[in-house]
Amino acid sequence: METKKTPKLHKGNPSNGGKLPVALITPSMIIIFGVLIFPIVYSFILSFNNLVIKDNSLEWVGLKNYIDMFKDQTWRDSVKQTLIFTIISVFCEIVFGVAIALVLNKEFKGRGFVRGIMILPWALPGVVNAIMWKWIFNANYGAFNALMLQIGIIDKYQAWLATPRSAFICVLVANIWKETPYVVLLTIAALANIDKGLYEAASIDGANGWKAFWTITLPLIKPVLLILLITKTIWALQTYDLVYLMTAGGPMGSTEFITFLIQKTSFKYLKWGYGSAMAFTLSIICFIMTIIYIRVFMGNDGTKKSFGFGKKKGGNQ
Amino acid sequence: MAEVRLVNIKKVYPQDASEKKKAKKAKNAGEEEKKVNLQVTEEGVVAVQEFNLDIADKEFIVLVGPSGCGKSTTLRMIAGLEEISGGELYIDGKVVNDVAPKDRDIAMVFQNYALYPHMTVYENMAFSLKLKKTPKDEIDKKVREAAEILDITQYLDRKPKALSGGQRQRVAIGRAIVRNPKILLMDEPLSNLDAKLRNQMRAEIIKLREKINTTFVYVTHDQVEAMTLGDRIVIMRDGFIQQIGTPQEVFNHPNNLFVAGFIGTPQMNFFEAKLTKKDDKYVVTVQGKDFELPADKQEAAKKLDKVPEDIVLGIRPVHVSLAADGIPATVDVSELMGSELHLHVNSDGKDVVIVVPTTDIDVDAIHGKHAEVHYTFRPELMHIFDKETEKNLF
Repeated sequence: METKKTPKLHKGNPSNGGKLPVALITPSMIIIFGVLIFPIVYSFILSFNNLVIKDNSLEWVGLKNYIDMFKDQTWRDSVKQTLIFTIISVFCEIVFGVAIALVLNKEFKGRGFVRGIMILPWALPGVVNAIMWKWIFNANYGAFNALMLQIGIIDKYQAWLATPRSAFICVLVANIWKETPYVVLLTIAALANIDKGLYEAASIDGANGWKAFWTITLPLIKPVLLILLITKTIWALQTYDLVYLMTAGGPMGSTEFITFLIQKTSFKYLKWGYGSAMAFTLSIICFIMTIIYIRVFMGNDGTKKSFGFGKKKGGNQ
Repeated sequence: MAEVRLVNIKKVYPQDASEKKKAKKAKNAGEEEKKVNLQVTEEGVVAVQEFNLDIADKEFIVLVGPSGCGKSTTLRMIAGLEEISGGELYIDGKVVNDVAPKDRDIAMVFQNYALYPHMTVYENMAFSLKLKKTPKDEIDKKVREAAEILDITQYLDRKPKALSGGQRQRVAIGRAIVRNPKILLMDEPLSNLDAKLRNQMRAEIIKLREKINTTFVYVTHDQVEAMTLGDRIVIMRDGFIQQIGTPQEVFNHPNNLFVAGFIGTPQMNFFEAKLTKKDDKYVVTVQGKDFELPADKQEAAKKLDKVPEDIVLGIRPVHVSLAADGIPATVDVSELMGSELHLHVNSDGKDVVIVVPTTDIDVDAIHGKHAEVHYTFRPELMHIFDKETEKNLF
C-alpha cells in the first residue's frame, strides 16, 4: 500500500521561514515601535538625564532625578493627594456601581430605559464632563449653590472650587459620577450570568437577601470586580483632564495629582528628565497596586485560574 | 418525615395589561392559538386549580404530566418558591402558605442541579448547615455520611465544574439530604441525564429512599419514572388533577382517556365502538366484531342510569394477541425488540399497535413482511370510556 504524501506546506508557512509572514507583520510592528516602545524607552533614558534645551543634548545625571523627587515636597504631596483621591474614587465607584447594578438587575417597568440613561455619564467626553461640573460648582451661578441654598444647608453662595478641601471633594464627585456607570455596566453583565436557580436553592438552604448577596452574588461577580478594581485604579491614578479643566491643580496644589504635576514639570518648567522620572514612578505605583489586588483579592481559591495568572494548583478544572 | 396536605390549591399567573390586550385582540379575531389549554380568567392564566392531595408521612408521591400541566408549579408552591394564589398548604398540620422556604424544613433537588459553582462539593453540601450555625464537627459528620450514602466521598474537594452530570446530580441530592428535611422535593432530577445514567440513578433513588426516612414529592414527565418510583402517582393535565392512585391502579383503571393514553408504553389503542344491549347482555361492537362484557362489567352497566351507545374502547398493546379467528389487519411496520415484536397494523383504516412475545409466534413469518394477521383481545382487559365525557364507564 502506498502512503499518501503529506500536502506541501504553503510557501508562507512560518515553519518554512517564508517571507510573507514577516512582510505582513512589519507594518504593525513599525507602528507599535514608533508609538509605544520608542517613547517608553526614550522617556526611560530621559529620566536619567537632563535635556539641555538650547542644543537638544542629553546630560547624564544618573539617579539624581529620582533622588530629587523623593526629597521634593510638591511631589510627595501630589502622591498623597493622588492616592487619597484614587482610594476614595475607586471605593465609591465600586460600591455605588454594584448597588445600582443590583437594582437594575431586578425586573421593573422601564428598566431598559433606565439602563440606557445610566450609561450616559460614562459616554460623555471627559472635557464635557469637567466643564459641566465646573459650572455646577460655579461660585456665582452654579446649580449646586442654588440647590444647597434652597434646602437651607448654606445661607449664601460658596466658592466651592476655591478652598483646598471642597475643591478636592468637587473633583472627586465629578470623577465618581462619570466613572460609576462603567462599573454598573460590567456588573450587570456579570449578574446576568448568574443562574437564577442558585438563588432559589439558596432560599431553601436559608440564605436570603444580604446572606445570598455575600455568599452567592459577591463570590460569583468577584472576577469582574477584580478587573474593575485594576482598571479603575489605574484610571483614577492617571486623572488629568478633570483637574486641568476644573481646578488647574489648585487651590494651593490640593488637586495637583501626579499626571498634572508631570505635565507641569515637563511642559511648563521644561524639566523633561525630572518629568520622565515622575512618569516612571507613576507606572511603578500602578504596577504595584495591580499586584497587590491580585494577591489579596484572588486569595487561594480557584478563580485565579480563569485569568491565567497566579500559581497553578491542582489540574481538575 | 411529615404529612403534607394540599387543600384546593390554586395558582394564577397574573397577566399584565399589554398581554391582556393581546388576548382580547386574539379573541376578537377569532384565533385561539394556545400551546396548552390553560384556563385564562380575568385574574390571569390559571396554572393549577382544585388541587387536593393528602400525602402521608414517608410516602413517595410522583406528580406526572405533559409539560405545562402545572406539576412543577405545584412542587414550587410546596417549596415556597412560588406564591400560592388560593387554598391552603399544610405541613404536619400547620398552614405554611406564608412561611419562608427555609422555615418549611424542606429540601429540593433541581433539574439543572443549581449547585453553587464557587463552592466545593463539601461546601455545597455544608452550606445549609453552616447557615443554621451547626457546630463544625457535626457538619463534617453529616456531610461525610451523606457523601458515603451517595458514593461521592472522593469528590468532596472538587468544584461542581469538574464533575460529570451524574456526579453533579448526586451532589445535588446530597445537599438536600444532609439537612434531614421533612420533605424532599425533586423537580425532574433525572431529565438532564442520558438514558443509561437515568436508569442507574432511578435505581439509586429507590435505594436512597430505603436509607433515608422522609416524605418524597417527585416531579417528572416520564411515566416510567412515575410508575417505578411512586407509592402513588398524581397525573395532571392543564392544571387539573386527572387521577391519583398507585401505579397499578392507574395502569389497570385509568379514570379517563387522558390517563389511559399517558400511562403505559406503547400507548393504549383506542377504537371508536358501539355499546349495545343484545339479549339482556351488553356487547361492544368494534371493527365488525362483538365482544360481550365480562360479568362484573355487565353488573356495573346495569347499575348505570344511562348507558351511552358511543364509546371509546381502550386496549393496551400487550393485551392484544394474534388469533386465527380475530379481526383481520395488515402489518405496516414491525419492530423486533428481542423478547417482543411490536406490530403496527392497519385494521380497516385504523392503526393498531400489537405487542406479542416472540416466544409465542413464528417471527420469520411476520417480521419484515407486510403480512396479513388476525388479532383479538380478552373482553376483561377492555377499557370502556364514554365518548362524550371521556370518563371511564366502569
